[in-house]
Amino acid sequence: MSKAKKIVLIGHFGVGKTSLIRRFVENTFTKDYKVTIGVHISKKEVEITDEASITLVIWDLEGLDDISKIRTSYLLGTHGFIYVFDLSRPATYENLDTELQYLKNNYPNVPTKVVGNKMDLVNKAFIKQNSAIFDPHVDFFVSAKLGSRVETLFSKLAEALI
Amino acid sequence: MNQDEKLNRIKDILLTDERAYTSAIEDKIKQLEAIVNERKKLSTKVDPIIDEKLDAFIKEIPETLGPTITEALKQEIKNSQDAVVEALFPILGQMIKRYIQHEMKMLSEKINTQLNNTFSFKRFFRKAKSKASGLSESDLILQEQSNPKIEQIILIEKGSGIVLAEFSKTKMADEDMVAGMLTAIKSFVEDAFTKEEQNLQYIEYDLYHIHLQNFPSFYVAVVVSGAYNIIYKDQLEDNILTFTSKHKIADLLDNKTLLTQKLEDHFKHE
Repeated sequence: MSKAKKIVLIGHFGVGKTSLIRRFVENTFTKDYKVTIGVHISKKEVEITDEASITLVIWDLEGLDDISKIRTSYLLGTHGFIYVFDLSRPATYENLDTELQYLKNNYPNVPTKVVGNKMDLVNKAFIKQNSAIFDPHVDFFVSAKLGSRVETLFSKLAEALI
Repeated sequence: MNQDEKLNRIKDILLTDERAYTSAIEDKIKQLEAIVNERKKLSTKVDPIIDEKLDAFIKEIPETLGPTITEALKQEIKNSQDAVVEALFPILGQMIKRYIQHEMKMLSEKINTQLNNTFSFKRFFRKAKSKASGLSESDLILQEQSNPKIEQIILIEKGSGIVLAEFSKTKMADEDMVAGMLTAIKSFVEDAFTKEEQNLQYIEYDLYHIHLQNFPSFYVAVVVSGAYNIIYKDQLEDNILTFTSKHKIADLLDNKTLLTQKLEDHFKHE
């Protein structure tokens, strides 16, 4: 019986939280953008080792420009956060420091992965140019569209939850 | 010129037109005969080809014309929804009527079988109950048929919505997803009504009733089918309280396997 853990994806609207989950859970991607209203729940079992596995119950929250405005009741009992921003929209990562500090202060022991999504829309030179912003915080640069590094992101978070 | 020659000469003069006319008719008849014979010959050759083509056409209709017809039908239905409803309404009405008649017949047969079961202990008790309560035996049987039944019971951690234990007689839905969604709904409703410390206690979904009972660190969600009423709600609440106190559930929250076993043992006959 694999243990279940609650994972919450947060970030501004339109950064691709739902797309990341769909890529991870169903291995699909669609260009059609549908705003998430309230919460959507998905789940997937992740094998950590040959003998150990973990069931990730993934909460996809509606996007908000300020994470302190998220209903705190939605975040209760969270075992792991994934903070997602859009590499092609600076507005979604310009307050990265403040937003992550808020998470650290309120959920000090909860593992958090910071993810720059839509890697397919930028190039490596862009990442290098903005390394001062990204390097201190970002764990993964991913593309839900191409599926690159999405699996690794969730696997690494699952490992951190054991 | 003798007599015969003269006669022939007169014949020639008098009958030339008729002869030409007769010969034209003969030609026409020959042509017609040729056409008729030719058509017969033609059809023996052409008919199999036409039949083959027709067969192929019939076979290809679903592939070639199918999508076009489907699209045209879809468009037509979309454009004339009222007309479609008008057309379908009597048919659907009949179908529903027939279904209900069938179900009523089944119910009636079931009741008759139970009434006729003279050797049943149940009947003996039902008769006694009927006398004591003043309700007819049929009413008591009807009551039995709509008795509430636990379909699924889930123990859910508050806040996280993680499933602590689950038991279901018939697999209703994925317990992790249901638990997550119920927790999200509960959180939203309880957040929205900030005036007092209140808990969401009940959700109705189609033919099912979801009874929610709160404890300090977890809550119990019970999916009930049948007639869920205030009397049953009280009984269910008492039953869940008995279960949690008898098995000291608060101490077992970390042991999903044991908790699931105890949940099944306690509720499998409910």
